[in-house]
Amino acid sequence: MGERMRGIDQKTKAQLYVIRYWQLYVMMALPLLYFLLFKYVPMFGNVLAFRRYRPGMGPFGTEWVGLTYFKRFWSDPAFWRAFRNTLVLSLINLVVNFPIPIIFAILLNEVRIIPFKRMVQTVSYMPRFISTVVVIAILGELLSPSTGIFNILRQQLLDKAPIYFINEEKYFRLIYILIDTWQFTGWTAIIYLAAITAIPPDLYEAATIDGASRFQQIFYVTIPSIMPTIMVMLILNIGRLLSLGFEKVLLLYTPDNSMVSDIIDTLVYRTGLANQNYSYATAIGLFSGIIGIILVSSSNALSRRLTGEGVY
Amino acid sequence: MRTTRTASTLFTVMVYAVMVFTLAVCLIPLLYMVALSISSPKAIINNEVFLIPKGITFEAYAQIFTYPNFFRAYGNTFFYTFAGTAISLALMIVFAYPLSKPRLKGSRGVMKLVIFSMFFSGGLIPNYLLVSSLGLTNTRLAMLLPFAINQFNLILLINFFKSIPGDLEEAAIIDGLDWIGILLRIILPLSGAALATVGLYTAVFFWNDWFHGLIYLKSSQFPVMLFLRNIVMGTSMVGDAAGAGDKSTIAISIKSAVIVTSTLPIIVLYPFLQRYFVKGVLIGAVKG
Repeated sequence: MGERMRGIDQKTKAQLYVIRYWQLYVMMALPLLYFLLFKYVPMFGNVLAFRRYRPGMGPFGTEWVGLTYFKRFWSDPAFWRAFRNTLVLSLINLVVNFPIPIIFAILLNEVRIIPFKRMVQTVSYMPRFISTVVVIAILGELLSPSTGIFNILRQQLLDKAPIYFINEEKYFRLIYILIDTWQFTGWTAIIYLAAITAIPPDLYEAATIDGASRFQQIFYVTIPSIMPTIMVMLILNIGRLLSLGFEKVLLLYTPDNSMVSDIIDTLVYRTGLANQNYSYATAIGLFSGIIGIILVSSSNALSRRLTGEGVY
Repeated sequence: MRTTRTASTLFTVMVYAVMVFTLAVCLIPLLYMVALSISSPKAIINNEVFLIPKGITFEAYAQIFTYPNFFRAYGNTFFYTFAGTAISLALMIVFAYPLSKPRLKGSRGVMKLVIFSMFFSGGLIPNYLLVSSLGLTNTRLAMLLPFAINQFNLILLINFFKSIPGDLEEAAIIDGLDWIGILLRIILPLSGAALATVGLYTAVFFWNDWFHGLIYLKSSQFPVMLFLRNIVMGTSMVGDAAGAGDKSTIAISIKSAVIVTSTLPIIVLYPFLQRYFVKGVLIGAVKG
């Protein structure tokens, strides 16, 4: 008897639940379908790395070929060159462009004239919203061999022949990293500035009473206080090590600088879309995607161990 | 004591020097473009123009708007930005609202799907093949549909909806409102800041996108950024009339005019919108 009652109870409970919440499920239906179609179908589309693609026979390929494409890129010098270029560029970028926003935020925090501080901040994160195409186009004009200001100065002051900077292999990495500094310093600094703003003022008061100079206050109060934020950002950056600014590299890529500018993403783009080796390019893309997810999860685990909290 | 004071003064000087340098580095490239775009070709070829325009003329602007391909690309970009942002916001709102209720059965599972897809995605080729097998290549929808939901923006919205006190919804339920009514009449009117933030991020994304135009569209559908990229790469002439090619100085002022025109909407709106941008990065920084 009691059993039956509970059964009915549960049934009506379920019915009530549906009556109460069906609208929320209806709301979710369309975006969820969208999400499965545009995010998860391509994810399963990676199966193409193990299957041969034939035009007109669907995006998932035709017959299984196992690890053929993986073996092929494993012995392809172009792949290893792209792999090395990706790693080198990311590591230099991390070493240079990780500390710069921190230093910028700390120095900006030392500005005592508030309207000026606000103006610098507003201007400093504007580059983040300017299209990469525009950034590269402006750079192209600044560095142009005939009319660019850099080459004019070189010619007039040092009497040296103009350099076609954008086309030269040895300037590629420098240019990439400087563009990244220009685009993201102010933007990334927002996070550190927020952390600095959250430092309790009495810490500084106590330091002042103890006779600490402003310089000492930075080293003994500010930096230790924002250390957790710095660690979290570092871990996030390590997790994203393989994802460089693909569009930037693609725009800076020329056949002359390809020895250093061909990264994994541009290799996938060229072999896949320009040469239509879909399966081969998918295999390379999948490989770098898997390394990416390993990097993210291990840096997250490291963060859990070090700071007691994961980023995700 | 004196040495510390000198050191402190030196430090202050250095701080302000760094800030002035930052301002200059951020602004000079844009000012340089403006100067080039309104200078006479003769002054440009004689290398007389840097930040101050010389022989001021608006010829370049008058000219680019007579090029049908620039005009069309500019219009296309406006279309992609407005349509893309509208579709995006509509889809993200109806997705984020149910997901902001952790007690709703299944919402946690969907949330996990969303988060996982931020770390592992289909990659370029599978995405390309999906879009082409849906028959979207060479249609304007290829610029809009695949990017309608951005996970970062979605989480931002979810977090915002979660922060709205639940009492409001309970009162509305007692008053007999259904969920759609609650969303439209209570939640959305309270979400202005969050919607502005997400809307702006989305609009900037669509405004600046060129790569997907390159791989999916035909030239009459190109957005203005792709048009500009093709000029920069030298794969297409600035306009039908610019027979001299992009290396001539006439092309420099015209190229600069294209750069200025295509960046102008962002620069003009920027001072009004920037407080939302900042709010967004801070909400987004809180873990989702």
